Amino acid sequence: MKLGKMLATTAVLLIGATTAYADGAKIFVIGGKADDPFWSIVKKGAEDAGKVVEAQGGTVTWLAPQNYDNLGVDAAELIRQAIDQGATAIVGPDWVPDAMDPAFKAVVDAKIPLVIYNAGGIEAADRLGAMNYVGAVDYKAGVAGGDYLGKAGGKSGVCINSLPGAANIEAYCKGFGEGITAAGGKADTLPLPATAEGNVTAVAQAIKAYLLQHTDVDAVFTTANLDAVGAVQGIAQAGLTGKVKVCGVNFDQAILSQIDAGTQACAIDQQGYQQGFYAVSILNGYVNYGLTIPTREILTGPGIVDAVNIKSTLVGAKSGTR
Amino acid sequence: MTAGTTLKGGGWGRLARRPEAGSFLGLIVVYVFFAALGGQNFLGAPGWSSWLNMAAEIGTIALPVGLLMIAGQLDISVGSVLPASSLTVALISGHFGLPLYLGIAGALAVGLAVGFVNGFLVTRTTIPSLIITIGTMFGVMGLTLGFTIMIAGSTGVFLVPDPLTKSIFGSAIGGMFQVGIFWWLAFVAVTYGMLHASPWGNWVFALGGDKESARNAGIPTRALTIQLYMLSGFAAAFVGVTQVITFGSAQVAAGSSFIFNSIMCIVIGGVTLTGGSGSVIGIVFGTITFAIVNQGIFFSGLDPNFGSIIIGALLLTAVLSNDSFRAMALRYAAKKK
Repeated sequence: MKLGKMLATTAVLLIGATTAYADGAKIFVIGGKADDPFWSIVKKGAEDAGKVVEAQGGTVTWLAPQNYDNLGVDAAELIRQAIDQGATAIVGPDWVPDAMDPAFKAVVDAKIPLVIYNAGGIEAADRLGAMNYVGAVDYKAGVAGGDYLGKAGGKSGVCINSLPGAANIEAYCKGFGEGITAAGGKADTLPLPATAEGNVTAVAQAIKAYLLQHTDVDAVFTTANLDAVGAVQGIAQAGLTGKVKVCGVNFDQAILSQIDAGTQACAIDQQGYQQGFYAVSILNGYVNYGLTIPTREILTGPGIVDAVNIKSTLVGAKSGTR
Repeated sequence: MTAGTTLKGGGWGRLARRPEAGSFLGLIVVYVFFAALGGQNFLGAPGWSSWLNMAAEIGTIALPVGLLMIAGQLDISVGSVLPASSLTVALISGHFGLPLYLGIAGALAVGLAVGFVNGFLVTRTTIPSLIITIGTMFGVMGLTLGFTIMIAGSTGVFLVPDPLTKSIFGSAIGGMFQVGIFWWLAFVAVTYGMLHASPWGNWVFALGGDKESARNAGIPTRALTIQLYMLSGFAAAFVGVTQVITFGSAQVAAGSSFIFNSIMCIVIGGVTLTGGSGSVIGIVFGTITFAIVNQGIFFSGLDPNFGSIIIGALLLTAVLSNDSFRAMALRYAAKKK
């Protein structure tokens, strides 16, 4: 969720090959920009589920804001557009509840089946009267990292917080602490000063210094891609490669190659592809045939990328599904 | 050159009146403080490598920005030139797979070009350089983000450097001392020669002292200002190159901390914000002091939650003690005479 450009207009992209009126579901998906690396993966999942929708005579339409400058208002506008265009089912993330909840309520009031995905959690789905929530929970991603490193033999962990005060990073670190504690270890948090922001060398040197002073620490958890790259470098400079294991939230190509090379133990993934795929599938089955998924809160994360599945993850990264 | 050089006094007095004397004292105080808290790790090679690695990067940028400040100007845009340079290398040599020397040349050219634009705008308008370089900073940031998304479809780009280039720009000696330290020392030597041993250096001081008089004395002030900005653009781009080669990954959202960090190093090093005075050695001491404090926090067992407070307090203390030390040294010299 990063910056965008000027115009506050909205883009409409028709994914479905069949645009003609048919008996199938008209599913509208509100999501992020298609050139956003994460959202292009979610969109791929929605498109792949859309193949079944089309085979059954329906369409899937992706609605995205052109930028993220005025996200809540723009996204609420997209939800209303979907209603106006005769959607028979809607999927949307509850990014900014204050701005978007009234629009989601309008969907439910119009008796259009709704699935919340990616952001908002099951709480948003319950509050709005949506069928389900499909997505990940930050806190649980932290727990998964702590659990993984703890079970891999980690006794003492540290969570690198390069943005002290950010709620999602606090949630990751809290989860990490509880995950590793449950596996028999303990954890601390290392907040970095503002002078280290966006400076991978400073992150690497801070982690190196911390590890040299805290010789019992054998597990590092990072919450940003840059920090994971810095952590691996810092561990190497401290001469602790192989002794201190690293796990991190999210990944990019650099991190996948670190996992492939064995210098990073794992990456925690919220699996955006699954979010698009399952949200669309659930609604398609419901609209066409009255099928339901009684499980509420469909978690797409935490997924784990490690030495076991790195090869298939690399294949997925190439094909745009990871 | 500086106010102190014409006054008489003993050998110690002369040393004490040098612009870097105050910052050297600050450096010693800070080192002893963290050595007492940090123990063996901080005193040994790991500690030295830790702050030297950090000092090398920020110091390479602080040198030319310091020259600009001596000449009475500021450069905020270094914070955006760094990621622009990293991504230029990563896009040219990582994404498109062209030879790495082309990527490096492209990145350094980006730095020089931004510096030229800065210098051109500063000399052709009456807008303060602070505002101009804030403007170019946002411009470069936007271009970096826009082109990176357009070309690579992602905000991070990946690069596998060849072993030779990696050893020149991104390796670590003894596994911990990054080669950037030696590049920094080379930059120090060149900058020292330029500022303190050539007429060009006197021009820089003259420009910062009084721009009108400098021009009337026949100094090509416009060309000089543009050269200074191109130097700082080049240095920021150089650090961007070493970062992407060291870490193999370039991110759009990097570099912003270098803006204030470089200014802090320079001010701790005894350069006055009004221009006209300062020294390369002072900037080096200031940079080392800054790096020791930043890294010392992690060695010392002080609560890192308060890290930023310690850094802020250091800056104020350094400037205060520099000023009072200078005043004291001048008084001492005046009494002797």
